[in-house]
Amino acid sequence: MSQPTGRTGVEQTDRTGADQTFRDAQPSYRTTVRNARDGFGHLLGAEWTKLRSVRSSVWCLLATVLLTVLITPLISASSSTNANEAPHFTDQFTFVHQPMAGDGTVVARVSSQLNSQEWARAGLMIKQNTTAGSPYAAIMVTPRHGVRLQANFNTDIPGPDLGAPRWLRLTRSGAVITGSESTDGTTWHPVGTVRVGALAPTAEIGMFVASPPVLRVTKTSGGSSTSLVLSLGAATFDRVTIQPNAPQQLPGWSELMLNGGAGTKGAPPANVPSDGDGPFTAGDGPFTVHGAGDVAGYGIPSFPLGDDDIVVNSLSGVQLGLLAVIALGVLFAAGEYKTGMIRTTFAATPRRRRVLGAKAIVVGVAVFVAGLVASLIAFYVAQPVLRRHGYQPPAYPHPTLADGTVLRAVIGTALFLAVLAVFSLSVGVILKRSARAIALVVGLVLVPQIVASLVPSLGVANWINRLTPTAGLAIQHTRPRFDYAIAPWGGFAVLCGYAAVALVVAIWLVRRRDA
Amino acid sequence: MATTIEVRDLRKRYGRTLAVDRLSFTVAAGRVTGFVGPNGAGKSTTMRMILGLDAPDGGAALVGGRRYATLRTPLCEVGALLDAGAIHPSRRARDHLLWMAHSNGIPRRRVDTVLAMVGLESAARRRGGGFSLGMRQRLGIAAALLGDPPVLMFDEPVNGLDPEGIHWMRGLLRRLADEGRVVFVSSHLMSELEGSADHLIVIGRGRLIADTSVAQLLAAASQDLVVLRTVQRSEAMTALASHGATVAAINRDTVTVRGLPADRIAALLTERQLRFTELAPHRASLEEAYMDLTRDAVEFSTPDTPDASPVATEA
Amino acid sequence: MTSAAAMRMEWTKLRTVPSTAWSIVALIALTVATGSLLMWSLGTTHCASHCDQDMPQLSLSGVYLAQLAIVVLAALAITSEYDTMMIRTTLAARPRRLTVLGAKAAIVTATVLVTGGIAVLATFVVARGIPVDGYLPLSLDDGATRRAYFGTVAYLGLIALFSVGVGTLVRHTAGAITTMMALLYVAPIIAQLVSDERWRHRIERYAPMSSGLTIQATTHLDRLPIGPWHGLGVLAAYAAAALLLGAIAFLVRDA
Repeated sequence: MSQPTGRTGVEQTDRTGADQTFRDAQPSYRTTVRNARDGFGHLLGAEWTKLRSVRSSVWCLLATVLLTVLITPLISASSSTNANEAPHFTDQFTFVHQPMAGDGTVVARVSSQLNSQEWARAGLMIKQNTTAGSPYAAIMVTPRHGVRLQANFNTDIPGPDLGAPRWLRLTRSGAVITGSESTDGTTWHPVGTVRVGALAPTAEIGMFVASPPVLRVTKTSGGSSTSLVLSLGAATFDRVTIQPNAPQQLPGWSELMLNGGAGTKGAPPANVPSDGDGPFTAGDGPFTVHGAGDVAGYGIPSFPLGDDDIVVNSLSGVQLGLLAVIALGVLFAAGEYKTGMIRTTFAATPRRRRVLGAKAIVVGVAVFVAGLVASLIAFYVAQPVLRRHGYQPPAYPHPTLADGTVLRAVIGTALFLAVLAVFSLSVGVILKRSARAIALVVGLVLVPQIVASLVPSLGVANWINRLTPTAGLAIQHTRPRFDYAIAPWGGFAVLCGYAAVALVVAIWLVRRRDA
Repeated sequence: MATTIEVRDLRKRYGRTLAVDRLSFTVAAGRVTGFVGPNGAGKSTTMRMILGLDAPDGGAALVGGRRYATLRTPLCEVGALLDAGAIHPSRRARDHLLWMAHSNGIPRRRVDTVLAMVGLESAARRRGGGFSLGMRQRLGIAAALLGDPPVLMFDEPVNGLDPEGIHWMRGLLRRLADEGRVVFVSSHLMSELEGSADHLIVIGRGRLIADTSVAQLLAAASQDLVVLRTVQRSEAMTALASHGATVAAINRDTVTVRGLPADRIAALLTERQLRFTELAPHRASLEEAYMDLTRDAVEFSTPDTPDASPVATEA
Repeated sequence: MTSAAAMRMEWTKLRTVPSTAWSIVALIALTVATGSLLMWSLGTTHCASHCDQDMPQLSLSGVYLAQLAIVVLAALAITSEYDTMMIRTTLAARPRRLTVLGAKAAIVTATVLVTGGIAVLATFVVARGIPVDGYLPLSLDDGATRRAYFGTVAYLGLIALFSVGVGTLVRHTAGAITTMMALLYVAPIIAQLVSDERWRHRIERYAPMSSGLTIQATTHLDRLPIGPWHGLGVLAAYAAAALLLGAIAFLVRDA
């Protein structure tokens, strides 16, 4: 070490000896440092310098990315699906029909519909023939999703969000089918037009009722299983009229229960009551029709896509990466207490609330950036692996960032990590010791997920997933699933709540206790 | 407002221990003020309260008339070295100063200036964990000088310094004081302050024992003791005692005399034709003076004002 | 004799830091409270059609949380010496490093076995008092139940050894604890997300926590990814490997 030069930046006065009399009137020394400021931006700069100048925090940021990304192909490769091997449609409903040659119009009023399932259907249909899977177009009401015009297991045009009672009208003009709805049978509003190319000159036309099965979840040790339970729909039609453009003899109504496509095992669903031939002879109704099942395919909302949330699957590498984030957040606070540097910090900035605020922002932003890099890489690394393992359209449409929910999941993963870092930082300030703080945060974030899977009661498991910071991971969800306990933003809000409470307690403590 | 450190009626209790007990003193600018007391006397606690790190249970500590917590750019008003070990082991020395500079909006070039000032330019890019105790002290002093503040506080700054470092430190303290700054230096060893401190604040068990200039303290401790070396010891003792002096034999040829000034003794001995080889007024060392003071502090729970010094003592 | 003195030294060090007492309290409280709460949450309405819950396992699920306390206790026993540089004092007092490490591991494990035993026993007593409709009260007469309870104590001891090994290897407190958390908890969470049954079993067979905790299973033993005792053996292998690597590093590295 070289000998200190002893310059202090200002001119020295001569020393007059230790026993000099002191010049009380001497002007006070004034600092030569100009433009010193206490702006919050400077404080952020100070905390950022602290963060980047310690190897362990840089390693933690790097580890967040590496751990998340490296484990992603492993998770993706160990999942597989055969969802695309099943038929891509369901054609199961009760059809009260008769043939109509050429163009024409069918009108009916759905006077009532049983709310047997949110996607239960009652309406008018034109269908190639009575074979399951043949082309069709239909206008319908649903209990929860309003009026819809659907066709060919892949087209869905939403109409007004209104249910029964409602007038419906279906008009055929060659291959073009127009659906309309009306409140009174006189003023008609078109819902849409679809093209059913393969429609034969003479097609079956009539009323149909369907009601998709209800998902029932059973909790078992170490997981949960689902089963589909039949739901029975019912609707009453009246003022039914068929007006073919070409004069023809109409044979009268006959009832049929179609049963084909995915989820059906050949036999028609039991206990759907036959409504018999009798009632359907009475002119324009009223007719009461019962039916179970669904007329849908990929592209129609009621048709279930593949069961797995592949975006969650691509992003679940954060479960490993978050450990590095917890360590970073905790160490950013506890490290200062361990070395005693917290005193230097508070001596440099006596306004401790601002120090903590700056620390939270710096660690939050740094982790957000690292987390975003990690989640973007993980997302793109996972896609080809998942595709190879059967996650393909139509059961699994390729997720893209253009899709709002996918974008929310990818950015949300980074947000989750950022808020988790702030939470860890606050716990680190509160507990001052890294060991306890890390154990506590891990105990709140990772362990509840494991315990929830063991709990035999679905209610308790859901509450664990809702009330612990784990809930924040819900922001990765891109589709509804039976075992999702909380909505994406709701879950994120729970985590934010934890972080906010911890930060407030931490601020209260640092202002109160001696440094 | 004159630059001062002002402590008024300060009190701090940790559990059952009364660390600082109604302490009052003022540290003036332009001189080196030593803050002395045995280990555990409350020096560091007092300094922490001055820096607003620990909240006093009563009283106030003011810097330049203001509470530290109200300072907006405190590093430009008060520089402190509390614990030289308080650096992150894996942070480079330069980065340690850089974050502090950022926190008060101090220009970046000031970091290199203070590193040069303490002689750490070559170690600027080394990590704190590899620093020796002496280097840490220098880094701590660089941190204190970062804002070029008019008030400086150093807690045990010469701890761990080699003799060369101690010499440098004394010179630095001197220079800083001569520039008109408040220089407040704590130590549990009076000898460390000998030759550098101008003024002393002595505390024991959290209470003020003495607030005095070094010159006065030394004069008082020396009193009028005279050391006499003579081969005719008993004759000399008899002669001096008969003139009202208090005489004590130290060894075969040395006695100490109280109650008579040195020139009077010389006259008396010459008059009696008693030979002496040495006659010297005793100059007490600072250490001795200090030992006298603190012995009182340890022996009495309510220390009286020591005779030796004109002081402001709190009851 | 020398190792007895080393053990006494380590015991003194362990019991004189307050974090030990905290860890022990947390270990017992988390084990008993979590298990009892989960048993209680079953209530009387749950089991209508099929009652095949693994009750002993459920009552012991507090271990998932409680082992956090063990990781902290055991890792700190070694890493705190590095944090404070007390390791130099320790090795100056007892230069034979293997004796020091062995004594430390033995004392920490013994402490965990005793307190873990108390925690598990307390859990049994409390859980037996919680009636769950459709199930017989817990009884240690049942061989599988006995294995679940005593095996859990052994599991906790192995976690302590594992943590001491990792702590010796990593030396840094936060690093050691984070590493242990990753080793213990990440695999089971990944396994939940994996839809392929074969992969799930593969992960659960070789992950230290999943395999070790098969010792708690008393029903559906045929569906386990690995047999209970073999599972505990997997964890023991992890602990042994960590201790061995830790010991080598401890011998080779400068203190």
